Amino acid sequence: MRVALGLVLLFLIGPFAVIVAASLSAGETLAFPPQGLSLRWVEKVFEVESFRASFVLSLTLAIGATSAALALGVPAAYALARYKVPFAEILRLIVASPLLVPGIVVGLALLRYLVVPLRFPIVLALFLAHTALILPYALRVVSASLANLRPEIEEAAVLLGASRAGAFFRVVAPNIRDGVLAAMVLGFVTSFNQVPVSLFLSGPGVETLPIDMLGYLEITYDPSVAALSTLLAALSLAIVLIAERFLGLTRYV
Amino acid sequence: MFEKRAEAFVLIAPAALFSLAVFVAPVLALLSEGFHFEGHWSLQPLSAFFASSLNQAVFWRTLKIAALVTAAAAGLGYLAAQAIVDIKGGGKGRMVAMVVLPLMVSPVARTYAWIVILGRTGIVNRALIFVGLTDEPLRILFSETAIFIGLLQLLLPLMILSLIGALENLPRDAVAAARVLGANDLQIFVKIILPLTREGFAVGGTLVFAGSMTAYITPAVLGGAKVLMLETLLYQRVSIANDLVSAGVIASLLIVMSFAANLVMRRIAKARTA
Repeated sequence: MRVALGLVLLFLIGPFAVIVAASLSAGETLAFPPQGLSLRWVEKVFEVESFRASFVLSLTLAIGATSAALALGVPAAYALARYKVPFAEILRLIVASPLLVPGIVVGLALLRYLVVPLRFPIVLALFLAHTALILPYALRVVSASLANLRPEIEEAAVLLGASRAGAFFRVVAPNIRDGVLAAMVLGFVTSFNQVPVSLFLSGPGVETLPIDMLGYLEITYDPSVAALSTLLAALSLAIVLIAERFLGLTRYV
Repeated sequence: MFEKRAEAFVLIAPAALFSLAVFVAPVLALLSEGFHFEGHWSLQPLSAFFASSLNQAVFWRTLKIAALVTAAAAGLGYLAAQAIVDIKGGGKGRMVAMVVLPLMVSPVARTYAWIVILGRTGIVNRALIFVGLTDEPLRILFSETAIFIGLLQLLLPLMILSLIGALENLPRDAVAAARVLGANDLQIFVKIILPLTREGFAVGGTLVFAGSMTAYITPAVLGGAKVLMLETLLYQRVSIANDLVSAGVIASLLIVMSFAANLVMRRIAKARTA
């Protein structure tokens, strides 16, 4: 059993070691084991103009869409947890529906029915699509935190003279803070790594980083994509380790 | 509980309206393209889609790969999840974190790793040539095998996480009792563990099966332009031929099959008393 677990973890994590090694190669072509060690491909990543632009777009998009999804999701999660809402299940299903539909379909649908006929800018469509995609995660994670918070505490605050809004911000908000932060991390990672939704929503000058990488892979297999993958993996690792340390992120996945 | 409905609606309406306008309406519009012919509702596009032998091959390949990935993930998932559940103390959390971590890394990076490993000059081919099993590098990339391996690595963590939850809720005495009564490992797995963890398996199975069918990057990068799955076929039809009708049909097929997988898995979960 232990041996099997070891092999499974090797299968899951081993490939990352291979990318890291390949990205440190001094040679011209992708190879493992690498031909000599150098940082030339890591340096090249920072020199490719399109990678810089798409990184900035992906970062802005991830932060913006996560914030928007939380602004919509937190009040909805709160209402679903604290009020007797008619059709609650249907409302939950509507908000959760982006999880049930392949991302590529979402991207294409937005392109055909928002961008083309209504002349929406592609960046705006990307932002809306990513927000819709993160919203179900935000709702689920925040709902889970609210479920652990007894409503009596809040009712007590209201009985003692706090306004409803005051009770929310001073009693509820501090208690669901970890859940909201976990939802932020999950939302950011989901948006930043998202490919299928963004696939059709790209145009001249508007490409997210993963789409840019896929396009680059069609031209060449040189080790710069390995170097970029290594940097991105390190970034994700850092975010997740910090989140795990302070929030226990794995509870929410 | 607070009873003011108006308040509740003010809080929920933005999220619900947003999802309806940005998501539900456009997607339904796209799906309906696949059910119109000469201005009327019709199943003609569906039968036209399946009349092509290429489309049929892609459909069956997608089902086959998704089923194989789900089966392999279940096998490996039970072994890994049981081993993790058996760990005592703080090591368990670290193991769970190791399983979750890959989920957080860009799927482009994860798929790209397999190009390095399976390519003509990759480790696998070098090892095969070194051992003398082959003289020429094998063509492993751009095949169903490559897609299978890539998808399994991508989705296995979801199965393991679902099974850890199920195995942790398993009554410990059940396994111990069976062992005292003389059951061997295989009997314990088939007669005790499997029936008692069916719900976790159903959740993980749905995630892996639907995930295999709707993954785009893995078939695009590891399958190439020739070994298509439904997602890559959809992309090709739209980007090359602007064929929205096929897109509507494929999108409907993907959604229907994801739901069907969910129903089948739930049946499996409920059949525990049989």
